Amino acid sequence: MASLRSTSSTRRRFPFRSWSWGVVAVLGMVWGGGTSEAAGKLVGQSWEAAKQHWAYRPIGNPVPPRVQAADRVSTPLDAFLLAPLEAQGKSFAPPADPRTWLRRVSYDLIGLPPTYAEIEAFARNPSAEARAEVVERLLANPRYGERWGRHWLDVARYADTKDLVLLYGRDALRPYAYTYRDYVVRAFNEDLPFDQFVRDQLAADQLEPPVPPWRLAALGFLTLGRLFDQNPHDQIDDQIDTVSRGLLGLTVACARCHDHKYDAITAGDYYGLYGVFASTERPYVLPLIEDPATVPGGPEFETKLAAARKELEDHIDAEFKKWTENLRLRLGDYLVRAATTKPDLTETTQFGLSLTPEDFRPSLMQRTRRYVEQHAQPEDRIFGPWQQLMAAGDEEFAQGKVRLKVLPEQKWNPVVVAALQSAALTNRAAVARTYGDVFRSVYERSQQPAAGSPQGPLSAEERELLTVVTGAEGPLNFPRRDTPNHMSRPDKDRYGGLVLNLDKMAAHATNRPPARAMVVADLPEPYSPRIFLRGSPSRPGPEVPRGFLRVLNDGREQPFQSGSGRRELADAIVAPGNPLTARVFVNRVWMHHFGEPLVSSPADFGVRSDPPTHPQLLDWLAGEFIKSGWSVKHLHRLMVLSSAFGQAGEGLREHSGESGSPGYTHFARRRLDLESMRDSLLAASGRLDATLGGPPVELNTDPLNARRTVYGLVDRQNLPGLYRAFDFAAPDQCAERRPKTTVPQQALFALNSPFVQEQARALAAQAEVAQVTDPKRRVVAVFRRVLGRDPTAQEVASSLRFVDGAAQNEGELTPWEQFAQVVLVSNEAVFLD
Amino acid sequence: MNPFEHLPPRALTRRQMLRQMGTGLGMLGLTRVLGDAQMLAPDAGNPLAARNPQFRPRAKRIIHIYLNGGPSQVDTFDPKPALAKYAGQVLPTGNLTTERPLGAALPSPFTFRPYGQSGLEISEIFSKTAAHADDLCLIRSMYANTPNHEQSMRLMNCGDERLSRPSYGAWVTYGLGTENENLPGYIAMCPGLPVSDVSNWRSAFLPGIYQGTHINTKQTRPELLLENITNAKLSRTAQRRQLDLLAEFNAEHQRLRGDDPQLEARIQSFELAYRMQLEATDAFDIEKEPAYIREMYGNSVQSRQLLIARRLLERGVRVVQCYHGDVQPWDSHDMIADAHRKLAGEVDQGIAALLTDLKARGLFEDTLVICGGEFGRTPAVEVPAPGTPGNGKGRDHNHWGFTVWMAGGGVKGGYVHGATDEFGFRAVEKPVHVHDLHATMLHLLGFDHEQLTYRYAGRDFRLTDVSGEVVRDILA
Repeated sequence: MASLRSTSSTRRRFPFRSWSWGVVAVLGMVWGGGTSEAAGKLVGQSWEAAKQHWAYRPIGNPVPPRVQAADRVSTPLDAFLLAPLEAQGKSFAPPADPRTWLRRVSYDLIGLPPTYAEIEAFARNPSAEARAEVVERLLANPRYGERWGRHWLDVARYADTKDLVLLYGRDALRPYAYTYRDYVVRAFNEDLPFDQFVRDQLAADQLEPPVPPWRLAALGFLTLGRLFDQNPHDQIDDQIDTVSRGLLGLTVACARCHDHKYDAITAGDYYGLYGVFASTERPYVLPLIEDPATVPGGPEFETKLAAARKELEDHIDAEFKKWTENLRLRLGDYLVRAATTKPDLTETTQFGLSLTPEDFRPSLMQRTRRYVEQHAQPEDRIFGPWQQLMAAGDEEFAQGKVRLKVLPEQKWNPVVVAALQSAALTNRAAVARTYGDVFRSVYERSQQPAAGSPQGPLSAEERELLTVVTGAEGPLNFPRRDTPNHMSRPDKDRYGGLVLNLDKMAAHATNRPPARAMVVADLPEPYSPRIFLRGSPSRPGPEVPRGFLRVLNDGREQPFQSGSGRRELADAIVAPGNPLTARVFVNRVWMHHFGEPLVSSPADFGVRSDPPTHPQLLDWLAGEFIKSGWSVKHLHRLMVLSSAFGQAGEGLREHSGESGSPGYTHFARRRLDLESMRDSLLAASGRLDATLGGPPVELNTDPLNARRTVYGLVDRQNLPGLYRAFDFAAPDQCAERRPKTTVPQQALFALNSPFVQEQARALAAQAEVAQVTDPKRRVVAVFRRVLGRDPTAQEVASSLRFVDGAAQNEGELTPWEQFAQVVLVSNEAVFLD
Repeated sequence: MNPFEHLPPRALTRRQMLRQMGTGLGMLGLTRVLGDAQMLAPDAGNPLAARNPQFRPRAKRIIHIYLNGGPSQVDTFDPKPALAKYAGQVLPTGNLTTERPLGAALPSPFTFRPYGQSGLEISEIFSKTAAHADDLCLIRSMYANTPNHEQSMRLMNCGDERLSRPSYGAWVTYGLGTENENLPGYIAMCPGLPVSDVSNWRSAFLPGIYQGTHINTKQTRPELLLENITNAKLSRTAQRRQLDLLAEFNAEHQRLRGDDPQLEARIQSFELAYRMQLEATDAFDIEKEPAYIREMYGNSVQSRQLLIARRLLERGVRVVQCYHGDVQPWDSHDMIADAHRKLAGEVDQGIAALLTDLKARGLFEDTLVICGGEFGRTPAVEVPAPGTPGNGKGRDHNHWGFTVWMAGGGVKGGYVHGATDEFGFRAVEKPVHVHDLHATMLHLLGFDHEQLTYRYAGRDFRLTDVSGEVVRDILA
């Protein structure tokens, strides 16, 4: 009660300073309070100083340094690497032999090994021109997009399933997620400029001119994440995290509960982005991106889907009508509760309560409290009297002394005044109840034909009251879209079932349903974000505009003007003045080609990250990337045609203890990742299925499936042991980089899995192996297929000894199959020199 | 000009060290905790190698007997005679908000009596466990955040209700490695899957090798419990010959390439896998136990899990979780008298046997036994929703107060910590949040919970996030 009275006299002001961290110990910087109406005012530390961090500085235009070994400069990046090496009296290792180089560049660009014939042909003429031709051929191969698309899917936390409770098997499938994966693969294959690629993924629905349908699927980037028990705040946090770490290398999600402890990112920045995604919804009707008539069974499926959608829409319509009417009649109950209670747990916590028809709708109860708080002002025509009466003390009420004092200067609504003057105001509930009765009576009369009503049509004063009940701003008004939040348990369960059913129909369809893009759309009215104090949605703080990070805009707020602001966000991310996007992406590409990134934390370029090992090189590459029109293939050419990439790996020389260090004095040996490893087995066995795209396939349980690994079902809820054992990126969050482990589960897969055994069988059955009768030449054939080289005499001898000694009846694999398996899983097959 | 030339070469040395770890930057937290010397030991390249914690541990391994679904504290380990006084009446203190509407007080249908020298009062349905009362440390003042299974399961396992955070088992395996590399370091057994599925034992941003290995004990043949653990097509002899040829090829390959630890590690992993095939199937094969031991544990699925667990623990597995059953078996919203009696009957004998068995083998002293659910149940009856066939004889979820007990490594026996209110609704005396429980578990294993961290997404994460206090009262 006391708190109600104390806040009813003046509009509540939000305590602007109380939420800030105040002191940031490590750096002595204070970003606190930088969210107030004084935009851009930063307490304790200037934005100017913040921008001195290397990652925020403009991309420089460094000139490749002069080096002694000018003949080793194949592309300009070599100069940046050689200069510091020469200063230490070092240089690159000699060039790798042509076979090694070809195998290396093939795996790097398409994730598959070259054939023996390709290796031999190249080895005969390993000229610079031949190398360039190889690179062009690989970049033009559709296998390239599958390889590099998968790298991006790690960033995009791609998965094919939803993480909802008690949803198993195909029920958990997001049936159209694959259209995002296919978009990514195609975008890389077509060398879609990276700035376009970013725009597509954030705002393909808003670009001018409109994008072709396949590019709408890019929006899956925003909605492929976890569902967090349907908690919208966590879903938005996931979107902010993926966009900021994935594209900008900034850990903005750290500012959800307070200003970032280290980086110049305020809670205001976080909620500026929050507003963008909170103004964006995921429609359950997704647009078709192919003509159903071109898909077998497509039109029939779409007819069934339309019927299921209609059932859902009808249910929402009916519930919307029911609750709109119900709440209009119950406004009095909400007012009484607002007047006599404090918000309880049901209103402030986030967990999904089961509502009975009688229960107060938590969000509308909150809305009513806010409405009353804002309107209870002396001059308010309707709630002015409320303000005066509620200010009376408990004793006055108890003694029956509370009467409305009508003041001549107040132009209060006479209907309200009359009702309050004739009611017995024995307590606050009675005041609220009187209001409720007035509203109800006005509303009920408005629903009757004016002619039939004894009182005739509503007066102007009554119409004023009616707007509280039925107006868009009224306390219990809610848009149709919010209807599910207010449904009672059985109705909501039915709603949830109908929504899930749309996906389930597609997931269980026997034929592939026509493809649809997982798009997003702006809300009709964008959401105006407030900072949630300590990250708690039940503690809304000051309003902030939807906008971009201030540290990337000279410390000024950059409010978005148009709709949710998604397109503006995309533009800001790829704006020429933003140095992060190009640096971050270039660093990732470098990591995949050279094993180690230039900035050791690819998703965190903040002040606590290690600075780049070669800052000028990073800037040169970023500048080159932008100048090329954001061409990713241009980056590949620069990197794989460099001498640094083409130098020999570690050989017999004494082990330096810095294997793979970013010193670039040799090529760092690495083990194939999951996809390359599995795809290589299929390539060697001759079973690789080259089909591009389409719904995910079950790789883990089907040893006969020969699709590339990128098309395997990624079940976020239950990532197969194979994926985990081979360091697949966890699809729960935007992955910075994959771990590199060597564990016995990998060896168990190599030795015992039906998949590897199947490839061994298929390899031994290949015509070029099986039809060769001379055992020695058969050994040669297996070596050529798997390792792309001829065996040594010693290897032939050992192989023949093995085959001869293997008992035919030792199991279901023949000696040749057993032998083929050994070569398939040998270190040479799975390491890249 | 290179603007970074003034920086010390620190970054490079750290980089080298991390490369040896082979798992990337996140491991930094661990290197800080354990010190560089240990990390650069010869086997440092192996992320599962056994490691010492920060200080002398009281426990080296954990077994968690998980009564998933939410066992009722007032029917098991937290007697509340006052409920009988108010039977059929609304509690004078009112009902706290839980998931569903509540009615009058519902006295426990079971009788409690004191057990052992310590006189701990325990329900008749856990009478066999109660025979070990003097070893039990009952925390009767546990509380959590939310009366929903999904969130509370994740809180209990991962320290967060919704976000993707590693499970405590993953944290422990990350911190300590495992003492037997022929077996996974962290094993979660369940006949089926508990609510929240694999997120209960996930590794999240920790490397995937620290994720719990789920064993579906609906399957009873030991060789089918672990993926790829047996070769369906080759005899062991044939496989040995394959490995010998492989070793020969690999040795030749390595001879031309110098002393590269990556190559060596993969060669070793094949030998390890070869041994693992035998040892792992053996560990899961309870037929190898003498009949009297199998009889001691009993016949239920949970009994079988507990016996497998003991075999795993004595073989050096770091963390074993035994979930009572598929989904949420302890979720007795109705007919709790029958349901809880049956459920307790499925686990009571196994628990007693496990405690006896651990003692007999000298494992009890350094094994931390934990038993409880994700939350408790309300002392007031749950009112069945209109139109549902409920009998009004059950209890709703209760995160405000519940009991978890521990035994073994480093905790006081015959001890009660904290208390719920007069009716068993809310933890009021020395309340222990799940974060506190986690801090205490890590403490017993030799870690300061604030220092076992992993660098990810710009932050040093830890199991207890920004909370958690070690419950010092229960330390022996």
